Amino acid sequence: MHTPGRCFISIFEDEVHHTISSSKLFFPGEKVAIGASGGKDSTVLASVLKTLNERHNYGLDLVLLSIDEGIKGYRDDSLETVKWNAIQYEMPLKVVGYDELYGWTMDQVVETIGKKGNCTYCGVFRRQALDRGAKMLGIKHVVTGHNADDVAETILMNLLRGDLARLSRSTSIVTGDATSDVKRSKPLKYSYEKEIVLYAYHKKLDYFSTECIYSPEAFRGSARSLIKNLERVRPTAILDIVRSGEDMARLVPVNTAKSCACKGDVAPAVVAAEEDGLGGCGSSNGRSSGNEMAAMEKQLRQNEAAEGLEVDVSKQMLPQAQRDKENVKTLPIRGVSANPKILGKQTLGNCERCGYMSSQAICQACMLLEGLNKNRPQIQI
Amino acid sequence: MVTKIEAGSQDSQPLQRPCKKCNNQEATLTSRTEPVCKDCFTQYIYLKCVRHIGLLGKETQGPYGSQPTRRYLLGLSLGTSSTILLHILNSYVEAALSKGRKSPLDLDIIVVDTSVSEQDEALQATLDAYRQRYPRLTFEVLPLTSVLGISSIDWTALPSLKQDQSPAQQLADLFERLPSTTSRADILRLFIRHILIHTALSRSCQAVLLGHSTTALAELTLAETAKGRGFSLPWQINDGVLPIEDFSPDPDNAPADKKRTIRVHHPLRELFRQELVTYTTLTEPPLTDIIPAEDVVNKASPVVSHRDLSIEEVVLRYFADVEVNYPSIVANVVKTTAKLDRLDAEERCGVCGMTLDELGDERWKGEIGDSGGGEEGAGSLCYGCERSVRG
Ligand SMILES: [Zn+2]
Ligand SMILES: [Zn+2]
Repeated sequence: MHTPGRCFISIFEDEVHHTISSSKLFFPGEKVAIGASGGKDSTVLASVLKTLNERHNYGLDLVLLSIDEGIKGYRDDSLETVKWNAIQYEMPLKVVGYDELYGWTMDQVVETIGKKGNCTYCGVFRRQALDRGAKMLGIKHVVTGHNADDVAETILMNLLRGDLARLSRSTSIVTGDATSDVKRSKPLKYSYEKEIVLYAYHKKLDYFSTECIYSPEAFRGSARSLIKNLERVRPTAILDIVRSGEDMARLVPVNTAKSCACKGDVAPAVVAAEEDGLGGCGSSNGRSSGNEMAAMEKQLRQNEAAEGLEVDVSKQMLPQAQRDKENVKTLPIRGVSANPKILGKQTLGNCERCGYMSSQAICQACMLLEGLNKNRPQIQI
Repeated sequence: MVTKIEAGSQDSQPLQRPCKKCNNQEATLTSRTEPVCKDCFTQYIYLKCVRHIGLLGKETQGPYGSQPTRRYLLGLSLGTSSTILLHILNSYVEAALSKGRKSPLDLDIIVVDTSVSEQDEALQATLDAYRQRYPRLTFEVLPLTSVLGISSIDWTALPSLKQDQSPAQQLADLFERLPSTTSRADILRLFIRHILIHTALSRSCQAVLLGHSTTALAELTLAETAKGRGFSLPWQINDGVLPIEDFSPDPDNAPADKKRTIRVHHPLRELFRQELVTYTTLTEPPLTDIIPAEDVVNKASPVVSHRDLSIEEVVLRYFADVEVNYPSIVANVVKTTAKLDRLDAEERCGVCGMTLDELGDERWKGEIGDSGGGEEGAGSLCYGCERSVRG
């Protein structure tokens, strides 16, 4: 925000450079794909990375990577924007379609399963699309345009969902580790959305205002409106939430047992249609059919009924005496939690079929594909 | 116990909507989606609270053979929740006394007067009503100015006090120099907490009891997250023992045992605000008779300007909506936060008293490129207090 114009531009660029260098995001000669949707975040990311790459000699080989869901007419405008960006920034552009990645375009999915629930497919497919696309191109690092507002939103959303595992994962600047094929990072993680808009404005960047035709999923929508209201009261609230989320991530008890999280504990009730709000049908969304919050409310009530309303008081209180003694830890040593409860922290493995990070043996996308492929012969008749 | 099931409906008339719990009376209320009668509902609220108190009693049991009486401090804000806590604890004690038993606990009831003025007539009138209703109990009023000089606060970390002024002026001046409405509301909340804890410690109370409902704890969770205090959330939300730091400048004057601790408990933590509001209309006579209107209580804190909203107020409005349709989600926020580890360290924040997160501070400064405040050689503050005090 600070001072307008040129001064703002250089401050913003310095901030992003600081994030990149302090987190050691890149190494010289690294081939990096920028997830490009034509929206403001990814356009600003491409612009800033090009500038910083030249100014600070990162030595990066930058590529624009776009995903085409295969919805007739839907991507036309945004793909035009990305193509224009590619020319402006002199970066190679690779557009990968759902048909190449999954053997299905979204239009074909809708033909097969109907309009209802197709957002689930779109969301699940999109989550992996960039990684799969990068893998196809032999690129091991994808950067996305997630900003501080997105991260704060995801933190609040997962707090409302009671999903500490996701909360914990969503706060880190880099996801995916040595075992995964493709590393993901968010260089704009500490940049306010307002700064990004301002940067695009001052740099006169061309971007496509992607307003999604669908309303965002209930939790994200709820968290988003809350964040906007908090920001109005205290503009730094967004980064303050990011800070809180990073710290809370370190407090998530380490899961030692691998057993199911739903035993004796309130498990995350709804499987998120999407992990971290990467835009797809336009903006960051990926609505699941029906109301997620209502579904979760229902499940939580069932859990509560199963636990027995009356038992619950003593259950929560009794371990307290032990917790006072055992569950308090001394910084900075982090041991195994004394809390006997098993937390819903999923241990991430890899999908047996596609190799993508997954908490299950077979990832969600492959599960959905299996269902679709079973239907294929009938449809083609 | 409040087992005053009034004769029920002995007549042979079948019930139109029988209570799901006793099946004996007409259900006039809905509790957690179940139709229940008035008696079962009030019993439910009462038992939720009393169970907590019973368990707390076990945890605060003295060594074998020692005086079994427990002494707790109750922070009375004169709102719905803390009034209900008071009401139930009073019934609990009176039930024991009426059976000829010893009182299971002694209560120090403390009202912090945040008016920072000579005499608050509305407050006096309210207290008279409480005293009339609970003649056996003593209600004490402590002025907000009693926070000045409290040793659990590092006063060097706050804007310096103008020593030549009256205590009320010093406080008003301090609040004026805080950067925003959110900061003022935040520091006010912490000051009240410090007064309660300090008073409890000085009187050898074993615990501070606060009236927070599930809804209030969920609000606290989100508000503190938004204020950057995620790290200390599990300390703030959970019940249990809290270490209290002593920042007295002169260590010779400090108590010999610097490691002081106090229990902080929220006996109504499993009840929703709406349930508590309903409860206030069901007691005989209704508690609504004595609970002052909200603007009377809110008006009493002129140190916080009410032109602008604070983060607490934004979150409060948000949860008021969510609780109507998704109460379990509200409760789940609290349960989720309770699962987080509580990390402890030597260093504590000079304002909120929570563990300082040096690891997190270092990392954050590295990533954001924040040089960090630390003006006038002030004491160490946590991220959230730093924000509240220095903007
Ligand atoms: Zn009943
Ligand atoms: Zn603090």
